[in-house]
Formats: sequence, C-alpha cells, structure tokens
Amino acid sequence: MKQIIIFLFLSTLFLATSCDDDDNPMDGQSDDLTDIPYTPVAYDLVVPCDFPEMEIPVDNPIMVDGVELGRFLFYDPILSADSTMSCSSCHLPSGSFTDNLALSTGIDGIAGRRSSMSLLNVGYFNTGLFWDGRVVTLEEQALLPVEDPVELHHTWPDIVSKLKVHDTYPEMFRKAFGISSTTEITKELAAKAIAQFERTLVSSGQSKYDQSRCAEPAVFLSPQEQEGAVLFSFEEDNHPGCTHCHKVFNQMFTDNTFTNNGLTDIGGGEVDNLSNYPDLGLGEVTGSIFDNGKFRVPSLRNIAMTAPYMHDGKFQTLEEVLDHYSSGFHDAANIDPDMSPFQMTEDEKAALIAFLNTLTDQEFMNNPAHQSPF
Amino acid sequence: MRKLLLLLLLAPLFIASSCDKDPEIEVVGNVEINFKANYDGELFMTQNEYDYTSEMKVKFTELNLFVSNISLLEFENSSEETELAEVDFVDLSFNIDQETEAAAGYDISTKKVPAGTYRALKIGFGLPADLNRTNPGDYGDGNALATSTHYWAAADSYIFSKIEGFSDNNGNGIFEAGENEGLRFHLGQDEVYTERILFPSEPIVVTEDGTVNLSLDIDVKKLFGISDITYDANQDGLLDFENYSSSHGDTDEPGFLVDRTVMGNYSNATKLNQ
Repeated sequence: MKQIIIFLFLSTLFLATSCDDDDNPMDGQSDDLTDIPYTPVAYDLVVPCDFPEMEIPVDNPIMVDGVELGRFLFYDPILSADSTMSCSSCHLPSGSFTDNLALSTGIDGIAGRRSSMSLLNVGYFNTGLFWDGRVVTLEEQALLPVEDPVELHHTWPDIVSKLKVHDTYPEMFRKAFGISSTTEITKELAAKAIAQFERTLVSSGQSKYDQSRCAEPAVFLSPQEQEGAVLFSFEEDNHPGCTHCHKVFNQMFTDNTFTNNGLTDIGGGEVDNLSNYPDLGLGEVTGSIFDNGKFRVPSLRNIAMTAPYMHDGKFQTLEEVLDHYSSGFHDAANIDPDMSPFQMTEDEKAALIAFLNTLTDQEFMNNPAHQSPF
Repeated sequence: MRKLLLLLLLAPLFIASSCDKDPEIEVVGNVEINFKANYDGELFMTQNEYDYTSEMKVKFTELNLFVSNISLLEFENSSEETELAEVDFVDLSFNIDQETEAAAGYDISTKKVPAGTYRALKIGFGLPADLNRTNPGDYGDGNALATSTHYWAAADSYIFSKIEGFSDNNGNGIFEAGENEGLRFHLGQDEVYTERILFPSEPIVVTEDGTVNLSLDIDVKKLFGISDITYDANQDGLLDFENYSSSHGDTDEPGFLVDRTVMGNYSNATKLNQ
C-alpha cells in the first residue's frame, strides 16, 4: 500500500512537472549559463580619416561578442514568422545594405511603402531613423521591422522563446551581455546586439574619394571627377549646391534633416494640397501638415550601389535624379527653398556622376566582418 | 601663574581667529531670456504669409541663429560684465500650426547670477572668431555648436543664421520653388558677427533667489532693411528679393553686402523688454 501511495505521488509529480513547459523550455538543459565564461572585450571601431566620433549609448557599448551576436541575429531568418527572411533580406551587403528594389517586400509578399535604406554609417545618424525619423536610436529601430506586418511579421515573445532554447544563442547572449540565465534573454538585448553590429557598418576609407583625402601616397581624382566635385558644392545665383543638404562636413554627405524635395505632384503649392501626399513621411510622425512629404536626406556614400533612389524608389539612375533636381520637381507649400531649377549640360551631368561614383566603397560591401555567418 | 600664561597664550589666538572673515556667501538670482520673433509687430510664424512690400507677399520656412557672449553690464561700471551664456542656438521656426510654441518662443535660463543692479544686456549675433574657429566635431551631442546643419566645411565657418522662405515675385498668390521664388539667406563668417548692447527702459535688478525675465523680440521684416539703393530696386528701404534672394557667407559683393546687412540688422531688429 505504501508503495502504491509513493508511486501515485511520484506519478502526479511527474505529470505536473511535465505540463510545466514554459518555466524551463530547455527540455532537459539547464537555463543556468554561469558556467560559460563572460570576458567582455571592447570592439575596436576603425573609421576613415576625418570621420567624427560616433555617439554610442553608455548602456550599449560596442563589444566584440555583442557585435558577433548582432551579426548572427541580423542574418538569421529566425526573426521572421515563417523563418524565410531576416534583416539582411532587405539590407544586403552587395547593395550597400539595401535590397536594390524600389519597394521592399515582406514575408507575406506585400510590398512596403518605401525603399530600404542603406545602413552604411547608420551609427552616425542620430536625428531620427527610417525615412520618416520615427525612432531615434538603433536599439529602438531594430525592434520595429520584426513585428511590422509588411516586413518580418513576427512577434518578439515568440522569437525570444526560440532564442532561449536555441543551440547557440543562449551562449552568445551570455558572452555578449553576461546574463546568468536564459530567462534573461529579452528582445531589448537582441535589439542591443543588432545595434552594436550596425554601428560597425562604417565606411572602409577605401573609396576613391576617401583615398584622395587621406591616402599615402596620394590618390588623385580625374579631371572629370574634380569637375564633378566642384559642381557638387557649386553655389551661384539660384543654384544652391548639392552640399546644402548633402553636407560634406563629417564626411556623411547628409545634413541629417528631413526635407521635401518635390517628388510627388500634389496639385500645386497651396497649403491644402499638402494633404494629398500618398505617403506623409515625417508628417505621419509629427502630425504637422507642414511636415507632410518630408523625408530623411540620405547619405550619398555608396550612392552608385543603392539604386533605385528616393524613399519610393522612383528613380532608377543617377541621371534621372539629376534631371529631377534640375527641372523635374513638383512645387509644394513646404518644399525646401533650396529646390530651384537650374541648367545642366550633359558633360556637367556626367562629371557630377563621375564624382558621385568616387564615393563607391567596395571594400565596405565586401568586408568579411559584415557578411552572413550562415 | 600658569593659568595666566595660558590665558595670555590663548587670547591672541582667539583674537586672531575672530578676525577671520566669515566665508563669503554669494547672493544670487536667476535670469531668463526669452527670444521671440515678430513680423512688423505681428507674431512671426513660419509658413505664414506676410506683406513684404505693397505688392509682394513673403513666407518664411526657417529662422534661426546663434547667439553668443550674452552678459549683463554692471550698473556702476559698465566695463564689468557678468556672463549669462557663452553660446546658444535660437530656433524660431514655428509653423502656423504651432502658434502656442511661437508665442512662447525660446528660453535661455541662467541660474546663480550675482544679485545686483545691471544697466544693460550685451549679446552677440552669430559667433565670435574664437568660437567660429571650432567645428561641430569639437562638441558632443547636446551642445549648440555640435550641429553640422549650420556648418560650412569649405568656408571653415558656422552658418550664424539661416533664414529661408519664399517671395511671391510674380504676384500670383502662390510661392513657387519652380519659379525661382525661394529665399535662402545663410549668413556667416567672422566679418558679419555683431555685438550689441541693449538697454532696457529701467535697470535690470537681480534679487536673491528671484528671477528676472528679459524678452528679446526680433522683427523679421527689419532684418531685410537696407539703405543701399543698388539692392533696393523698389526704393522702399527693403532688400530686393527678386534680385537678391540668397547669400551663402559670400566674401564678394553682392553676397557679402547682403550677409553683412542682414546679420548686422539683427541688432536693430531686436528689442529688449522686461
């Protein structure tokens, strides 16, 4: 009788614990990670000459193991609901971390509203990320595409559950963040790791433009490229110069602002027409009608590798872009006053594009440290 | 006897220590400077239309400037200055859907200003040469001078003030970039930095723990006042926007004159009230 009672007690206990699958999902594995060494090493971020110091959050320094974890997560389709897409699906190294599509498509085959942005030097863009500036930090940014219905369409709780029982990720989280248990794996830590990796996506300094500034011995731009460089910053009469928005200072080729460059015909320059934008851009974030149609001024580094251009992928070539700026834009009440028609010969256009081509950074795109680990 | 000797020994020490002055306790108050813009007396808001001349309307899309070397001049000795702020960036670009913000303006608050009576406020419009020799890379996030949107690498200078907008040159009631109606005044370089002493109607009195509120109102229309008839085709004392619609820190005429004039006009266009 006593044996029966013990048997029933143990059976009940077994059944009870077998039902409790959430508390310890490692199915026989311990969630304790403290046996794994945690020896954080700061990542040595090498940047080209004249690049500014990157502002890095004090609560998320760039560490070697954090970057490695971030790289794995960035390329891992575990982040999508059907395990078919990852961040890298729209941000491929071969396209300077764009997908070279006018509009990016998510796991459900639904095209998004906008073109994917290059992540080159994204760690320097601290005035609002995405085309509409809706988040400020990379840590915030990394969380959003995962749950966006037209992107990865997953949920963070599901992803975190998968990460906790994954063969390798618990150890990587331990090494990256010193967590003691798989229970400490969170979406915030995953986003921090991705942000660390993204902050390493910095120019190599090997573009012809950079080499002309910094290389020893000196590399010289061709006469045509030099002419293009002059045209790029040329300011006279009603020609404001590309540098007004694509500032050379800090070597970022953007002023990190949001502007309306007249891409869409909304019916004219009256204020009421500002409601006609199919994509409100910054206005969607701020709620101000005067921000409708404004989008982030993108960096021009690697511009030759990131076609098609603009937030809606409207232009296939740089020639089309220049035609837009010289004579093809549409008026709006909040159009940037720097938008002003100008004449440009075919030779000048070719020179300007030759200069833009000197911003191409193949070494960045081919950098093994930026490639998929899978 | 021993007590007497001890007394004599301690007495001078006591006297000496009693002669020590008490640690000076500084009496301080606060000064708040509020910047606002108006257009010919009307609250200034970007995207709002204003009469420039009797035949031309204007609207602005951006108005901001660096101010520097802000100090109070002491009442008794005006060569004595009490610094309030070394530099700040005053952005008055509030759209017409931000009327409350436009009316509130921009504040610079300085605490621990020595209490006393002051005769005037000194202010620099733009940046003095020593600050203009620096660049945004010298400053961390949050510093007014960290902004790269107001820096010309080629000219090695900050843009002291940006005033952008449109003038309805053809009078069709629409501001059109496509018709070259954009206004782009990007003012900078050492030569156009101006300092001005602004006198209030009565002394500025900073009292212990009190707050003095000073108001600086900038009349945007007055920024474009010009006496040189070469640049004033309509002979109305205003810069001719049809022919002079931009400047970019130029070192040659006519751009330099436009830079110098508009930047210099900040002094006369700014009124101090308290």
